[in-house]
Amino acid sequence: MAKFITRRLAHAVLVIIAATFLIYLGLFVLGDPFASSGEKTVPPEIQEALREKFGMNQPFFMQYLTYLQNMFTFDFGIDFEQRRDVGEMLAAAVPATARLAVIAILIEIVIGLTAGIVAAVSQYTFRDVFITIITTLGIGIPVFVIGIGLRAGLSGEWVFPAVPRSFTVETPWWQEIILPAFTLAILDAAFIARLMRGSMLEVLRADYVRTARAKGLSERKVIGKHAFRNSVIPVVTYTGVSLGVLLGGALITETIFEYQGLGFLLVRAIQQHNNPVIVPIVVFAVLTFVVLSTLVDILYAYLDPRIRLH
Amino acid sequence: MTTPPQSGHEPDTHVPAEVLMTAFESPDPDADAVPSGQNKAKASGQLRDIWRRYKRNKLAVVGLVVVVFLMFLAILQPWITPYDPMEQNLLNTENPPSADHWFGTDSLGRDMFSAIIYGVRLAMIVGWSVMFLSLVVGLALGAIAGYRGGAIDSLIMRVTDIVLAFPALIGAILVVQIFGNGVWQVIIALAILSWPTAARLMRGSTLSLRESEYVEAARSIGASDTRIVTKHILPNAIAPTLIYSFSHIGVAVVAMASLAFLGIGIPADKPEWGRMIADAVPSLNVEGQAHMWVFPSLAIVVTTLAFAFVADGLRDSIDPKLR
Repeated sequence: MAKFITRRLAHAVLVIIAATFLIYLGLFVLGDPFASSGEKTVPPEIQEALREKFGMNQPFFMQYLTYLQNMFTFDFGIDFEQRRDVGEMLAAAVPATARLAVIAILIEIVIGLTAGIVAAVSQYTFRDVFITIITTLGIGIPVFVIGIGLRAGLSGEWVFPAVPRSFTVETPWWQEIILPAFTLAILDAAFIARLMRGSMLEVLRADYVRTARAKGLSERKVIGKHAFRNSVIPVVTYTGVSLGVLLGGALITETIFEYQGLGFLLVRAIQQHNNPVIVPIVVFAVLTFVVLSTLVDILYAYLDPRIRLH
Repeated sequence: MTTPPQSGHEPDTHVPAEVLMTAFESPDPDADAVPSGQNKAKASGQLRDIWRRYKRNKLAVVGLVVVVFLMFLAILQPWITPYDPMEQNLLNTENPPSADHWFGTDSLGRDMFSAIIYGVRLAMIVGWSVMFLSLVVGLALGAIAGYRGGAIDSLIMRVTDIVLAFPALIGAILVVQIFGNGVWQVIIALAILSWPTAARLMRGSTLSLRESEYVEAARSIGASDTRIVTKHILPNAIAPTLIYSFSHIGVAVVAMASLAFLGIGIPADKPEWGRMIADAVPSLNVEGQAHMWVFPSLAIVVTTLAFAFVADGLRDSIDPKLR
């Protein structure tokens, strides 16, 4: 197991180094981040200051090292648009995105697992067919269609705050989060329900489940204890990876609901060609994604020892 | 509430295969009628088998009809659209559907029906191009990696690892940010992000076939590597990759629309569903203007579901083992 973990971690570190290098190459070398573009003009002295700050007047390899060092010391430079410290902007956005991601994941686990188990236990009945149809729609309908639909139908009604926000109305965080969290959760809940149904059906056919039934265990125990524990493993994997994606910022959902997280920040930065904001967010997204995928792999090997043999 | 005894399902799995085969095939009169014309269609016997299995999945047939319909719309677009999709009429903006404008007009008075039909053409171009590019690159690199092994295999696999380290949408945004906006840039960005999965699938099936006896036999009578890969391995290994690439068409269409929704990728002078929805955002809660987001959303949903159903049907019919 220790060998597996070391190999997996080394692999993750290599991938992160290569990915940050590509991001650097793409955004700093192939396109000049500080040049004026479109209707946007960046004053030459600020261009100069930023070049100096990021070491853009140094040799290529030194530039790359400085860039890495800046990332490690959380020194991200100055936002072109609002002239604010990018580090501060990120410090405000990261908790909001993390909160949204965690709540969305909780919702999708509850809905997805329940639907998947119900569908598997009552295979080929009306309930199963109904759940299958709903999950097919949930997977087939793009996130932004769901989000726009929810916003058009629900925002401003009942407890849901109106979008776009007005400056005079203060809304508690849980009200703000409820619609985006459901928007994010629907797609993944549908996926989890499908995964759970599939693996549950497979496990229910196994000999040890028949043995459990034969020795007279209640159906509740057979499903809840014996079948559930072994069929939930693929769901654990999927949820981990999806958390890794969500932590990097939910671009579309946050934009639709004007939720002030990393995704909202990134989309606005891209529209403004605001490279000092784009770079750390993309690096952060890749980092969380790779780290969580690695953790999931290790967890998977722990839960299912057969995996370690590869 | 009482739960029915679950063990009641058990015997179903022990039905002999022959019984299952006849049970599935006999209700289909067309399938039984086929052997009379066997000589003529012998060369395409496998295709006929695939089609016979495909027909059983009614949803897949519906999906295929919709896909064919969309292709027709895409090809015939210049003759179908009643208006120029970019023609503005500032005296007639944001009007609900009427006899003149079936899907209403947008915020600049442009005809939504024409714009959506134009969007079909764009979606088909992007979807099929992404599929074709990622399929060709994925098959080639996957086959090389799987068949050659060694250093070139490690190299290709590490490259796929790095590409897959980017969350899909962020990766696409990054590539578009580097190459600039445009239809081809979007196609290339989406293809760059989807070939690694295709290559991995192809590598996996190549690896399992490389040591098989019939490949060994081909090698022993002196077939060249190129011949073995293209004539012996490719036809037998292509199914999973092909199915993945096909199911990716819908994903590519959604990705294109998502990018356009965020104002990235497809330029503003091309009517595009995601951008149309984004244009509708300011008037989302205005009474009587729901047409501005409902029709483009429906277009996206119908397209993605149709391709998803066809991909499902293909998976079950091309290679029943994959299910």
